Amino acid sequence: MTLQPVRVATGGEGEEGRLVFAGEKLVALLVKLSHQQEELAGRWFFEAGFGRLDGPLHPTFENLADAEAWILQRLAATGEA
Amino acid sequence: MHQRLNSSDRLGNFPEQSRVVRKLESIAELSEKEKQALLDLPVSVRNVAADQDIVCDKDRPSHSCLVLDGFVCRYKLLDGGMRQIMSFQTPGDMPDLQSLFLRVMDHSIGTLTPSKLAFVPHDAVRDLLRRYPNLVEAFWRDTLIDAAIFREWMVGLGRREAYGRVAHLMCELLMRLRAVGLANGYSYELPLTQAELADALGLSTVHVNRVLKELRLDGLVVFKGRHLVIQDWEGLKEAGEFDPTYLHVEPQVAA
Repeated sequence: MTLQPVRVATGGEGEEGRLVFAGEKLVALLVKLSHQQEELAGRWFFEAGFGRLDGPLHPTFENLADAEAWILQRLAATGEA
Repeated sequence: MHQRLNSSDRLGNFPEQSRVVRKLESIAELSEKEKQALLDLPVSVRNVAADQDIVCDKDRPSHSCLVLDGFVCRYKLLDGGMRQIMSFQTPGDMPDLQSLFLRVMDHSIGTLTPSKLAFVPHDAVRDLLRRYPNLVEAFWRDTLIDAAIFREWMVGLGRREAYGRVAHLMCELLMRLRAVGLANGYSYELPLTQAELADALGLSTVHVNRVLKELRLDGLVVFKGRHLVIQDWEGLKEAGEFDPTYLHVEPQVAA
């Protein structure tokens, strides 16, 4: 899995984000929550998932490693990885 | 909430009874006799903390509950632990009227805030309805409006943008709370957390937070503590495509 930095048009001025690739395929977009998100500020938000990761689940994570682990686990559970 | 209920009190002994009467009067015309019969309903009143189940999926309740104070919701839990809130019940509402005729609960009902609830034995409700056919119509109308609210929520969950969903809910709650005297002009207490709003609107907490900020930046609403103040009612209605017809909150003349 590779992560590519990106700016995302959420939260006004644009938040720091990561495009998450599994091989060459884009599978998710993570956004680092700004101070505007109060108690969630600084956490990584699962903004969008694609393919098997598309759905109503939008957790937040303490750090990118936790986010990656969750994404890998979800991909494995759905037979994509 | 599975303790034995002793319905030794009557509804009329509690100051919040006026909300129950106002709620029904906002959708049906009641005679003095009918109002008196409502107030004479035997009840067991409980103060219930926030986030407590009142009745659970698969329960077979013997009482229906009236919300005297607080916010209550109907919800279902999914296997992954996600919760979908299907409706909010506010003071004056009777969230499990259905259990009178549908014996097994097909969803759960729980408090969201500290609440004051009156439990009425099913037998007493049945007896009331046998004696006062006009109250049957009023309760039936209430159930139909309940269904109309579900339809509106379905449209919102399926087809409205997050911004419109939140705006629509704010409009709906103003109308419903105003009907029972709990709105002050265009302001009312909205004691729900962003997570609870998210569970009701099918959004993430993060999205709810963003939308609340956008609504504020657009000058539609502002929060003063736990109170929501609608600053631009026309704008909020437009944002939520809100048409209050489905709430039928005006005295109806019996046909």
